[in-house]
This record gives sequence, structure tokens and C-alpha cells, in this order.
Amino acid sequence: MGFPLLSLIIFTPAAGAAVLMFLRSDDAVRWTALVVTLLDLALSIVLLAGFDTTTHEMQFTERVPWVPALGITYALGVDGISALFVFLTTLLGAVSVLASWVAIERRVKAFMASLLAMQALMLGVFSALDLFLFYVFWEAMLIPMYLIIGVWGGEGRVYAAFKFFLYTLAGSLLFLVGVITLFFQGGETFDIVALTAQDLPFRVQSWLFFAFLVAFAVKVPMVPVHTWLPDAHVQAPTAGSIILAGVLLKMGAYGFLRFSLPMLPEASVYFSPLMLALSALAIVYGGLLALAQDDLKKLVAYSSISHMGFVTMGIFALNPRGLEGGILQMFNHGVTTGALFLFVGLIYERTHTRSIADYGGLMKVAPVYTVFLALFTLSSMALPGTNSFVGELLVLSGGFAANLAVGAAAVLGAMLGAAYLLGMYGRVALGPASVGARFKIRDVNAREMVAILPLAVFVLWVGLYPKPFLDIIDASVTHLLTEVHGRERGQ
Amino acid sequence: MTAAALLQSIIASLPEIVVVTGACILLILGQLVRKGQEHFLVSASVGIVLIAALATLLLANEVRPAYSGMFIADRFAVFFKLVFYVATVLTFLLSRKYADIEGIASSEYYVLLLFALFGMMIMASATDLLSIYVGLELMVLCTYVLTGFMRRERRSNEAALKYVILGAVSTGIFLYGVSLVYGLTGTTQLDAMAKAVTGDPLDPGLLLAVVFIVAGLVFKVGAVPFHMWLPDVYEGAPTTITAFMSVGPKAAGFAVILRVFLNPLVAASDAWIIVAVIAVVTMALGSFVALVQDNFKRLLAYSSIAHAGFAIFGVVAGGQDGIASVMLYMLIYAFMNLGIFGAVIMMRNGDFSGEVIDDYAGFAKSHPGLALLMLLYLFSLAGIPPTAGFFAKFYVLVALVERGFVLLAVIAVLLSAVAAYFYIRIVMVIYMREPERAFEPALTPMVRATLAFTALGTIGIGLFPAWFLGLAQQSASGG
Repeated sequence: MGFPLLSLIIFTPAAGAAVLMFLRSDDAVRWTALVVTLLDLALSIVLLAGFDTTTHEMQFTERVPWVPALGITYALGVDGISALFVFLTTLLGAVSVLASWVAIERRVKAFMASLLAMQALMLGVFSALDLFLFYVFWEAMLIPMYLIIGVWGGEGRVYAAFKFFLYTLAGSLLFLVGVITLFFQGGETFDIVALTAQDLPFRVQSWLFFAFLVAFAVKVPMVPVHTWLPDAHVQAPTAGSIILAGVLLKMGAYGFLRFSLPMLPEASVYFSPLMLALSALAIVYGGLLALAQDDLKKLVAYSSISHMGFVTMGIFALNPRGLEGGILQMFNHGVTTGALFLFVGLIYERTHTRSIADYGGLMKVAPVYTVFLALFTLSSMALPGTNSFVGELLVLSGGFAANLAVGAAAVLGAMLGAAYLLGMYGRVALGPASVGARFKIRDVNAREMVAILPLAVFVLWVGLYPKPFLDIIDASVTHLLTEVHGRERGQ
Repeated sequence: MTAAALLQSIIASLPEIVVVTGACILLILGQLVRKGQEHFLVSASVGIVLIAALATLLLANEVRPAYSGMFIADRFAVFFKLVFYVATVLTFLLSRKYADIEGIASSEYYVLLLFALFGMMIMASATDLLSIYVGLELMVLCTYVLTGFMRRERRSNEAALKYVILGAVSTGIFLYGVSLVYGLTGTTQLDAMAKAVTGDPLDPGLLLAVVFIVAGLVFKVGAVPFHMWLPDVYEGAPTTITAFMSVGPKAAGFAVILRVFLNPLVAASDAWIIVAVIAVVTMALGSFVALVQDNFKRLLAYSSIAHAGFAIFGVVAGGQDGIASVMLYMLIYAFMNLGIFGAVIMMRNGDFSGEVIDDYAGFAKSHPGLALLMLLYLFSLAGIPPTAGFFAKFYVLVALVERGFVLLAVIAVLLSAVAAYFYIRIVMVIYMREPERAFEPALTPMVRATLAFTALGTIGIGLFPAWFLGLAQQSASGG
């Protein structure tokens, strides 16, 4: 075991949250939080720089016995898939701090501490190599997120926080029973790598698949357990929405990749038609709901359901292009939707309305804002040259290869996406400058630009030259597919 | 009994002797303490318990049967006694200021608590139905009186009366079971009982006797269908006594249940089905009824019913892991429940009762640190990691799944999702509502110490459960 880089990445924000407790002025709190998240971002770049893309093996592993009597270890490690999300988490962490710089006025210290605690836990989820440790991180996230939505959210925040908490808790608890069952079925170990190598009987796999499905589907969220998401998103403060959309929704998909597929390969293959159908339903249904929204934030929230449908479709297409596309789309959705929520937050801070009908002609009063909004809107639509185009194309080709009807539904969803996104952009940015007459609107300032620019860079970078990103996940994806299909054929 | 055997017995029961002697001395000294000197009572009581704890630890390494098979000092008993000591000492620390505010400051309060502790210690060590009965009665008689200690309050009197009447009925049921056992097997010793029936198909009369005994014990831990007294008594009793009762006597009840249940006599029967039903119904009732409570103490009473239900799942699982899971659960429950009760007791100041949940609105704004502590206890009670409460539940689930009771595990977790609702509702009131009034918590150094200690336990066992787990597992095997 070498230098504990992953522990450092996880505990830097946690330590930062503790340090905040001793600070007095709000500005000191903000700057400290920013410095901590930037430091964490730098550490995750070090991680990526040292990452070996030629192997699917877990890297930067750390193992310390934790509860030896139950075979629980403090085990960390990343493969290509998790490394990408560790990076995404730290990137959005810094963006979230910037996004809440002025938006959060009361109890700044507690807010920033929750944000940093949240980041530490999310990083833990992506790096845990022990199921028990994973579950601890996974579940502990509920506490800071509950507070972020419930204390600093909008009007209906309490209800939304409750709903978020109970939905995810109920899902996760079943997952916990699944985890314990897996422990006994898989040779009394919680080691994720060891459990992946186990061959479980199909019957056991199917039951576990459904226990896991409930937990992951709630987090993704898949239709029909998606109803907490619009509430949570609309009520959450901007930073909360960015984290929810950017990272939290990825946890469910990550769970499928880390547990369902490699540990329950036969069940995954057997139930993939069901999962594809649910994905197609999410894509179309989410798109239709987004089309009907007048609230800007709700629109982006429902579009998330649709976009996450693409992700699960890519994963359960169970072919290389689908899987690569699904994972890349997870990253893309984090960047793009995170940015869109940031933009919604920026305009809300200025106008205190989220109704699209109140806007119009924003182009004339805030040109820089609208230009960047255009970039992210087009990215969300998956226009060629942007990040989502690469991901969505891969998912679609994987989806068509898996099932023609499902692929067709996804194309329909993509068309719906163009309709609601273009419609939204048209009503917000174009037309006569009605909004300028009613509100005094400043264009984006330097601090906001700092938050926006890196996201814009990734939109174009992935869009124009996706190779480095695909390289990171490539070995892991190939390995994952051999795990799934190899063992399935072996039976 | 020869002199040597008597000496051995005295050594084995040294901690009990310390406590009962100390209590008697304190009873006399208490009359001499002048007004304003009450802190002497607290330190003397704590001192007695600490000496008993020391004696317990010194005796911990050996199994010592004593008093002709009525009593045993083994690791199982040591573990439970340590839980009782924690509960009692923390109750002493919480009591001082509260007793002043409520006007119940008198030396008998502390003496009765010590006698209750004595009763609980006998229960943990008892290996005979009669010594179990003696310990049980000693404990409940003291808690009857303590429940009614706020003499001027009607609520307190009513609670005590209810407790006495129902308690007497449950004792009668228990004794009836004991007499049946004696009639059928000719013995009241747990081991001899087991020997008497080995090999034979279980006598239906004996099963009936076991049902009666279990019913008597189930009353003490507040499980369905003998839970009705619990919310009223918890609400009416002084809050410090409620805190004590929810932890100490409950753990003592579980100690006896484990001893009786792990007896081959019961293990051979299908009694676990009855227990499983009790567990499910208890947890369901506790969780669902707690949802609609507005009074904090009542809510915690129902929460304690729900927790008892969860712990009974560990009894259902049985085996070494099952026993250890119940023991660990009781230890962790002691920390988190005394913590949350400490917070409620701290709120009692002046005309402020702190008993209604709405009283806590906006507490996080005025006292962020204390609010964070309450958040910790509440999430621990809800079983959210990385707190100790999560590990307690986790280990019970492990024991259940190990024995193949996956369906029961699923029921248990779904019901704990229901239970989580009312804990996070309190967090909501504390964090997400605007304050309606100023708070002046009665924060004495003793209360601070209690809160710090319980918080340390709640987070410490959660993060580093290995040592405590090992302790429970070793103690479960008795040796």
C-alpha cells in the first residue's frame, strides 16, 4: 500500500468541514470552503494523472481491517469508472461553493460544512471497495443532503426534504438486506472485488437484483420511483441541485455498474429487457413532462429523468458502445445539467422568479449569460460538437443493437429533448427584452464566470476530443462486459 | 452451605453487595445532608456505582456460580452490568439540576435508584426463576416509587398507579408460569429445567409455562401485547426516571429473556415463531403510533417500544450472533437514548417543559452545537450510518440473515424506514423552523458531561465498532 491518496481526497473536505466550525466571519468560511474544494480538485487531478488506463484492476488501493469479526475492511480503490466520477465530484464541488457564494446568506457556515461533508461522503461512495463501507457512505449522505434541501431550500423545502429522505432510505434499507444476504452467499466477505469473483445461483441473483434495483432505481431515479426528484430539485438551493443532478443521481447508475452487472451477471442479462423498457419509458415520459413545464428548474429536473434514462439504457444494452456511452453520459449529464442548474440559479438570484413566462429577451440585457446558456442547452440537446452528442450517439447505437423498439423510443426522446430545450431557450433568451424592463439584470460577473468556464471547457473538450475520457473507462468497460457475458456463457 | 462456598458466593456477588451496602449507608447519611449540599448525594451515588464497576471488572475473567445455582457471575452478566452502570451513572448526573427544578430533591431518590440497580444486577446474574423474580420485583418496586416521585403532579401519580397495577398483574402471570414449571419439572433452576426435559417431546404444559414466563418478561421490556402501560408511565414519570427506565430495566429484561430463551428447553420448541410475531407487531405498533405523537416523551416511549421490537428480532435469530446482537443493541441504545433524554432534560428550565416537540422549533439557530448533538442522537436512533445506531441494527440483521430469516430482515428494515420518519421530523423542527422563543437550557457541567459522554459513545461505537462487537460476542458465549 503506497501513499493513501484516496483517503486524502475523501478526508480533505471532511477536515475542511471541521475547520469551518472554528471560523467566525462568513467570508472566511466561503474562502476556506473554496480553497478546500480546489485543493481536493487538485488532488483528484493528481489521481487522474497517475491513473493507469491500460488495466481494469483497482488502483490506489488501501486496505485496513475495520471490523475483522464480520470481515469488514476499510478498503478503497478506483477503476476507470470510479476515477472519472471522483474527478467529476471534486469539479462540481468547487462549482457548488462558487454557486452558493451570495445565494446563501444565512447560516453560511453550516451550509458550507454540509456541502463539504456531502462531498467527502460522495467521494467515499465512488472509492469504497468494501460493501459495508460503501453502504455507510451511501446512507450517511442522506444527512447533509436532507439539511441542505430542508434548511436552505425554497418554500416547500420541508416536504421535499422529507420525501427525498424517505424515498432513498426505504430503497437503501432493502439494499442493506441484499448486501447482508450477499455477504453470506458470497463466502462471508464484504470485499467488492472478492464478491465480484463469486458465482451465485441464478435464483439468489434474481432476488438480489431486485433488492439492489429498488435502491438504485430510487437514486437514478427511474420511472416510477422518480417523484421525489422534481420536488427535491425545485426546492433545493442551487448548489444542492448541482450536487443532486451532477453526482447524486450518478450513484444509482454507478451501483448498477459496480454491483448489479459484475456480481449478478446472469440476472442482469435476464432482466435487461425490463431495464431497457423502463429506461425507454423514463426517456419519453421525462421528456413529455419537461415539455409541459413552465418552471425553469422543473424543466431541467424532468429533463434529468429523461437523460438518466439514456444512461440506464446504455448500461443495460450490455454491449461495449452502450456501456461506454452510458458512462460517458453520466459524466456529461453531471457537467451539463450541473451547469444548467447553475444558470437557473443565476437568473433566479437576479429576478426571484423561475417561471419561464416571466422571462424573454434576456439576450439583450445579459448577452454573455445567454451565449453560455445556449452552449449548455445545445449540449443538453446533444448537438454534434458537444459532449452529449458523443455519449448519446454511443448509447443510441448500443440501444439499437440491443433492441430496435427501445432504440426508436430513445430517438423519440431525443426529439422531445430538442423541442423542450429549444422552446425554453427561445422563450428565455430571444424575443423582445421584456425581462430587462421588469428586472434590473446584471450580466454574469467574474466569480460566476469562474464557475461556468470549466464546465464549458468540458462540454467542448468531450464533444470535440472524447478520446482521453473514453480511454479512462475503456479497460474497465471491456472487463465488465467480459465479466457479464463471459460468465453468462460459461453457465 | 459450607463456609468456603459462602465465601465464594460472596466474592461472586461482590458488586451487588457493594451497591446494596452503599445504598443502605446513603439512606442513613441522606437524612443528615443539609439543604444545598445535595451534590454530595450525587457524588456518593456515583462513587458507589464506580466501586461496584471496579469489582465487576475484577471478577470479569472467571465464571463463578454462587448461592447453590441461584446466581452466576459470568461475562454475560458483566456485560449487562456495565450497561446498567452506564445508565445509572448518567441518570445520576442528569438528575441533580432536574431534581432541583422539579422540587424532588431528596436522598431517597438516589437510594431508590441504587436499589433498582441492585435488582437489575441480580436479574443479569440470576440462573434460577426465583432469583430472577427477586431481582425483577426489587427493580420494579423501586421504579414504581420513582415514577410517582413528583407527588404534586397528577400525571405522575396516575402513571405510578397504572404502573403498579399492571406491573402486579404481569408479576402474577410470571409467578404462575414459574409455579407450573416447578410442578412439572420439580425445579426452578434454568439448567436443571433443561435437563429434566431433554429427550422428551416438549410437554404442552411446559410450553404453556414458558408462555406465561415470557409474558411476564415481555411486560418489562414493553413489547406488544403488554406495552399499554409504557407511554403513560414514560410521560408521567420524571424525565430522568423515564430516561433510566427506557435503558436500564429494559436491558435487564432482555438479559433475563436471553437467559431463559437460550435455554435448550425453549430452543428446542417452536417458541421462536411466537417471538417473531411479537417482534414484528411490537416494532410495527411502536413505529406507526409514534408517527402521530406531539409529546416528545410519549414519542420516545413509542420509539422505545419500536426499538424493543428490533432487539427482539435478535432474540428470534438466536445463536451466538443473535445473543451478541441483542447485547450490543442494548449497549448502543443506552448511549443514544440517554443522549436524547439528556437533551430533553436539559430543556426543562423555568416554565419551559421541553416536552412538546414544537418547543424545539428553531433550536438549531440559537444553539447550533446542542442541535448538532440532538441531530446525532436522532439519526442514531433512526439507524443512519456512521452512527452507532446503524451498527446495532446492522448486526441484528446480520444475525437474522445468517439464520435464514431474510423475510423477517426485510420486514425489520421496512419498519425502521417508518420509524426514521418521526426522528427526522424532530430534526426538521429543530433545523427548519423559525424559533418561537428564547431558549435557556439548564446546562450544568454534569449535564454537559453526560451529553459529551453519550455523544462520544454514539459516534465512537459507530466508527469503531470492532472492539465493542468483540466484547459482545465474547460475553454472549458466557465464558
